[in-house]
Amino acid sequence: MADLRIDLAGIKSPNPFWLASAPPTNSGYQVQRAFEAGWGGAVWKTLGEPILNVSSRFAAVSFNGQRVAGFNNIELITDRPLEVNLQEILETKKRFPNHAIIASLMVEPKQEKWHEIVKKVEAVGVDGLELNFGCPHGMAERGMGSASGQVPELVERQTHWVKEVARTPVIVKLTPNITDITMTAEAAVRGGADAISMINTINSLAGVDLDSWNTVPHVGGKGAHGGYCGPAVKPIALNMVAECARNRFVNVPISGIGGISNWQDAAEFMLMGATGVQVCTAAMHHGFSIVEDMIDGLNNYLDDKGIASVMDLVGQSVQRYSNWGDLDLNYNIVAEINNDVCINCNKCHIACEDTSHQCIDMYTESGRPMLKVREVDCVGCNLCAIVCPVDGAISMVERRSTIPPMTWNERQSLISNFSR
Amino acid sequence: MTMSEYLLSLDEMKQVDAYLDKGFQVHSVNENLSGMFVEFKRLEEVVSLQILTAEARKYFAAKLLEQSMF
Ligand SMILES: Cc1cc2nc3c(=O)[nH]c(=O)nc-3n(C[C@H](O)[C@H](O)[C@H](O)COP(=O)(O)O)c2cc1C
Repeated sequence: MADLRIDLAGIKSPNPFWLASAPPTNSGYQVQRAFEAGWGGAVWKTLGEPILNVSSRFAAVSFNGQRVAGFNNIELITDRPLEVNLQEILETKKRFPNHAIIASLMVEPKQEKWHEIVKKVEAVGVDGLELNFGCPHGMAERGMGSASGQVPELVERQTHWVKEVARTPVIVKLTPNITDITMTAEAAVRGGADAISMINTINSLAGVDLDSWNTVPHVGGKGAHGGYCGPAVKPIALNMVAECARNRFVNVPISGIGGISNWQDAAEFMLMGATGVQVCTAAMHHGFSIVEDMIDGLNNYLDDKGIASVMDLVGQSVQRYSNWGDLDLNYNIVAEINNDVCINCNKCHIACEDTSHQCIDMYTESGRPMLKVREVDCVGCNLCAIVCPVDGAISMVERRSTIPPMTWNERQSLISNFSR
Repeated sequence: MTMSEYLLSLDEMKQVDAYLDKGFQVHSVNENLSGMFVEFKRLEEVVSLQILTAEARKYFAAKLLEQSMF
């Protein structure tokens, strides 16, 4: 049994699986049930001046029968008074002293407002703070959430105000609604953040109803942009985590969030530099019990790999994430079709013929239709293997290049000596 | 015309090899919208070659590296 405990900037939890700040962490009732189910930590639904929500609030994008491929919401932060939440945090912490409870906070960008709320939540014994600079709707129009989180100076200044009074570790939660997330991550670090978390939701409109022409969701015939999350955003979140992890100025632990639905997703985020993960949509879709499979799966994976502690996974893939200009231009792979497994649907041929390099030939052998890759024209793009519906029918195999490795950057510096 | 460039790239690589085998040295390399333009020089003799295909441009860079190392 591997050691699943993590320590994220001094915040300890029995496993790396935390619930993200969202409806699953609205109340003491829910967080306590989540801890009973096995979650290692919970970031409480964002605390601030109690807001008013609209109805309806959520929409989901289903894709080809996969329900909730993406999830969209126009919900704001907590609508309950601070004292109600604090009382429940106190009770929950008393019942679960070894689980991590992090208070997510959002107030106006004023020093005294941050000081006030930090002191109040720390008084009930939270293990850490998460500053919500990410919520893209509603609160942003009031100068909070992503409106703060998109401006590096505001991130730095507000983090600094929090650090002036905070006694527990401060995590800064970043918005993905920005071109380069490392700019705000660096600002958080300059402000004194002990850790960063990402991503919050991505600006989105789930759809338009083709009968009524209303937005999805709509509130009495009107819509407003919401925030997108769930499995569809995972690659975006993973890249943002990786970009921060490999940035030498962002030298604080990362809590990874965005589309994490199972132990494999969690392990990927940890390999790419996250010390732990947070989950929202998957828990909303399937309930708290999904954490059981997450714990078992991660544990078995670590045992199979002979890794004693989950902390040993953190960041192992970061050095493999590089810049395009440092990739070897002469590394070669080609597609290989196994005609014993192929069902002759011809999707690979169509994809290659219509949208790639026209290198999959159709022929017949003893009256049987067959497909063959013309290797000399194959550029190793992977498209045929991606569209192939049968496991094992197409493999991408390495072909040793006849010329030595050379990156684009090396090539450009070589050629620059000859430009006359 | 398809994206299949194998034969053309082979031909271009052969031309690169041919100049190098004859004792020419790469003198200048310039790239623009039309591809790569290489001038080979042997004593006072200068010849130019336009390289179109991606594979041959990669190959040429490898040859240029060889020339630069010796
Ligand atoms: C309905 C809903 C409400 C949310 N409310 C908050 C919030 O109050 N504070 C916050 O920091 N993030 C909030 N989030 C964002 C999540 O914490 C998380 O960053 C995001 O959903 C990405 O994770 P996921 O793909 O696992 O859902 C909310 C998300 C959803 C779906």
